[in-house]
Amino acid sequence: MRISRRSLLKGAVAAGAATAVVGRAEAREKKEVEAEAVGMLYDSTLCIGCRACMTKCKEANSLPYDRSADGLYDQPNDLNGNTKNVIKVLTAEGGQTAFMKQQCMHCVDPSCVSVCMMGALHKEGEGTRHHEGEKKGSGIVLYDKGTCVGCRYCQLACPYLVPKFEWTAAFPLIVKCELCRHRANPKKAGPLAVANPACCEACPREAVVYGKRSELLAEAKRRLAAEPQKYNGHVYGEQEGGGTQVLYLAAKGVEFKQLGLPELPEESQAYFSEHVSHMPYLNGITPIALYAAAAFVVRRNKKKEEAEHHEEGK
Amino acid sequence: MSGHDHPRAIRGNLFDPLMKICLGLFVLAVLVMAYRFYAGVGPVSAMSDGYAWGIWEPVNVVVFTGIGAGAYSTGLLCYLLNKGKYHPLVRPAVLLGAIAYSLAGSSIIIALGRYWNVYWLFLPGVWNLGSVLLEVAACVMTYVMVLWIEVLPSVLEGAADSKYPFWSKIGKKWGPALEKAMPFFIAAAMILPTMHQSSLGGLMLIAGPKLYPLWHTALLPTLALISCLSMGYGAVVLLTNILKYTWKAQADQRLFADLSKVNGGLLFLFVVVRLIDLAVHGKLQYLGVFDFHLFFFVLETALFLVPAFMFFSKKVQRNRGLTFGAALLSVLAGALWRVDAYLTAFNGGDGFEYFPSLGETTVTVGMAAIGVAVFLFVARLFPVVVVEDARDHSHVGAGRVQAAAGR
Amino acid sequence: MSELGTKGVSRRDFLKVATLAAGAVGLPAWAGEKMAEKAASSAKPPVIWLHFQECTGCSESLLRTSAPDVAELILGLISLDYHETLMVPSGYQAEKSLEESMERNAGKYVLVVEGAIPTKEDGIYCRVGGKTALETLKKVSAKAGAIVSIGSCASWGGIPSADPNPTGAVGVNKIVTDKPVVNIPGCPANPYNLLGTVLQFATFGTLPALDDLGRPKFAYARTIHEDCPRRPHFDAGRFAQKYGDDGHKAGYCLYKLGCKGPATHANCSLNHFVETPGAWPIGIGSPCYGCTEQKLGFRMPLHATVDVERPTAPGVYLPIRPDHSVVTPAAVGVAGLVVGGLVGAGYVASKKMASDSEKNEQGKE
Repeated sequence: MRISRRSLLKGAVAAGAATAVVGRAEAREKKEVEAEAVGMLYDSTLCIGCRACMTKCKEANSLPYDRSADGLYDQPNDLNGNTKNVIKVLTAEGGQTAFMKQQCMHCVDPSCVSVCMMGALHKEGEGTRHHEGEKKGSGIVLYDKGTCVGCRYCQLACPYLVPKFEWTAAFPLIVKCELCRHRANPKKAGPLAVANPACCEACPREAVVYGKRSELLAEAKRRLAAEPQKYNGHVYGEQEGGGTQVLYLAAKGVEFKQLGLPELPEESQAYFSEHVSHMPYLNGITPIALYAAAAFVVRRNKKKEEAEHHEEGK
Repeated sequence: MSGHDHPRAIRGNLFDPLMKICLGLFVLAVLVMAYRFYAGVGPVSAMSDGYAWGIWEPVNVVVFTGIGAGAYSTGLLCYLLNKGKYHPLVRPAVLLGAIAYSLAGSSIIIALGRYWNVYWLFLPGVWNLGSVLLEVAACVMTYVMVLWIEVLPSVLEGAADSKYPFWSKIGKKWGPALEKAMPFFIAAAMILPTMHQSSLGGLMLIAGPKLYPLWHTALLPTLALISCLSMGYGAVVLLTNILKYTWKAQADQRLFADLSKVNGGLLFLFVVVRLIDLAVHGKLQYLGVFDFHLFFFVLETALFLVPAFMFFSKKVQRNRGLTFGAALLSVLAGALWRVDAYLTAFNGGDGFEYFPSLGETTVTVGMAAIGVAVFLFVARLFPVVVVEDARDHSHVGAGRVQAAAGR
Repeated sequence: MSELGTKGVSRRDFLKVATLAAGAVGLPAWAGEKMAEKAASSAKPPVIWLHFQECTGCSESLLRTSAPDVAELILGLISLDYHETLMVPSGYQAEKSLEESMERNAGKYVLVVEGAIPTKEDGIYCRVGGKTALETLKKVSAKAGAIVSIGSCASWGGIPSADPNPTGAVGVNKIVTDKPVVNIPGCPANPYNLLGTVLQFATFGTLPALDDLGRPKFAYARTIHEDCPRRPHFDAGRFAQKYGDDGHKAGYCLYKLGCKGPATHANCSLNHFVETPGAWPIGIGSPCYGCTEQKLGFRMPLHATVDVERPTAPGVYLPIRPDHSVVTPAAVGVAGLVVGGLVGAGYVASKKMASDSEKNEQGKE
């Protein structure tokens, strides 16, 4: 017993030394907003709840209309397997109404991308699988149904409850806004060459607008500075959860969490999760070292057993 | 080879009433599964966009593999720390593990929405290494194979003893060859569960905003690892005692008592680590909020502490039934913690609520049933269980039996 | 009544007309009878109608009513003592009619004003018969029993008051401040709004309930948007993007083209014009430009969009957290049974083993 413990210790020390020599590898870096990132700015104070964006989204994405339980056409009651964009209303006690547009936030460091096993959810041009025609830089979170296994981890991970699943389909998809990348016009200059969200095109008040995230953020701040009595003083999405590419403004007296946007710390959950789970691995050194140590010890023990066995006779 | 302490095939009626019940339950589950493949996951389950995993992940995968961690925990004791006395426990534990993990894997296939794409898992090129679930999937897949390889010695031994020369030739040839390679598989069987059992806890790291603070912590992987070892020890005690009462398996109470001390230590460790973590992060205030989360937290802690104390009590150590009861509590503790971390402490979104549907419960129960059925099948046909010889007394001598239990 | 008799109108016909008139302006059916009575009693309320900075459009629109038509109105229901467009006399005779009516009916006559009143340079920008509008209004309003401003011009200044308002045109209620002034804005105002008000006063001596801008609530309480026939298109997000495009041809909502309906109080969407269904701006594909509203009409650009004043039917919108519950008692029961069964079996087994164990120990000892 003492011998094997010593061997074990020896093995472990060797493994530890190896890992120390390799050095402290930072398990994961914090993601920054890409320079050419595109997104949307939704100003709840301008929205009139006309829902043109909902209709146009269905049309642009060839989504079927929702039906009630008895098969009649009905409006969706939330984002779902047929609906990538909804308008919701907040009716505060004082009678104040505020509208809220809900769709994918296209986070800077998305939880869904972090958890997707085979990279079906990925930021444009990034990820483990090569996707035709995608160019890195826009930061749009796209979905590749060819790699998706439908594990629904993304649904669990997303703090905004965005990805939805086709529960009643035999060949279900995960459904979420992809910023209408398929409507991009490569002939146009600027962000429209990358994507062209139908909702932004449809909005009669320009309550939701599309553009480069950096420009939209500047515009949002300009609006806050120009009319501080109109807004609640904060641009949602600038920092929350690592930042989102879809930004929100709300009226004074309306808090974002009343609109359903959760209070999130600045550190993205993706960073937290990957950092904690990867730290022990040290880029793969630890399992290999431990395996080597374990194999060494087990073999030693086995040999010892056999030796004892022979001694005892039989 | 040694005599009375060696596993042997149980034989007997393969289709006894228990087997029939198990197969019946499984058939019900298969019907539900068939409907799932036809109509989608939604109609057979209560899963929704807020609770996308239902119980098929937390229970069928996480709890079952926790129970199957008996292979891991006894393997560590027996092979790594060279405590050979635990050897008789190993084969049943390994079989239990192999079955539990296979059930987990098959449950995943049922639960996956786009299961046909699972072949990508075999192409490391597309692996998103940031995903904890990927780590779980790849690791579990590998580990299932390793576990069944660990079951092979029983199978090959059984083949070697077979009447049919075809099988006995195979058994005699490949048995020893496998013996030589075993250490490498055994070592893998230690590293792989360390990785994925902790990752099973780590799956919920990303759900921070949605997980109640008493459960969400950076130590989720650590806690998962500690509790899986504990569950494994508990499961082995339960299993072997059940085998004793059904098949007169060798079930040395002294062995269980010693094993359970390790278990007890782990149970205490779990509670201590958890409480310190809560204190360090200023979350002890949540213990003052009287809601149903607190109820589950208290229940969990009780389920961890009661068996821990029991295991260290001399009275319990002498008493098979009390040890059995404590072991059951320790398995329930780990199971409850997992179910809480995935379901009760998880807020999928206001407006969403979840309780397992009949379809989900049927499949879970059916999967457990087929697991039992497979165990019965393998144990009857191959030497897995060490059966108590009629000559042996049921009392335990201090160390003599253990010392001889080298093979 | 006798006059009508000579025209060949029977009492019954008159009753019908009066009831129709009452109905058209939202008064209950029995009011029609009262009107007929009043008319029969020959105590027809006198009405003096002044015109200032106006286009006479409101009078023109009054001519296009049929329930009652103008003839029945001025011959049977009211006594229109002074109306520069409709009256027979002109010149001195006209002025004399005005003076006489004012004297004869002091405190009883209804003063209807059409057109804005310029105030710059002592109001010289509008002089009728040598007198400024300002003077005339002050004089005539002093002895009026009720004052009604017909049209946006009289209500708040209308077109003449559009930037830069060189004449200083204002509405009647800026000049007459000591008496209640009923505003009936619109360009032109819906004639039935006037008729309803006048007939109510004529019959009951009361004025309809007014909002904070002096407008009768029966006509101006709701916005165009709330009763617009194209509202379903708005709600479904179907908008005309350009004049003549497919959406426009299909009759989609005109909000994107600058329809001020959501912020404009009026009943045009219910009572269309010239008594022809569909004969109103939105009905013919022109966005409402808010002619009744001082902040919008002739002020806000035609194609600029407005805030929706009262986003209506919030019940139809989704709440921030919709309800998704789906738990059945049977599922709860079965799951409970399974868990309970396992725990129970474990407990029983444990007890049995415990007692066996103790027995064995006792046996050994």
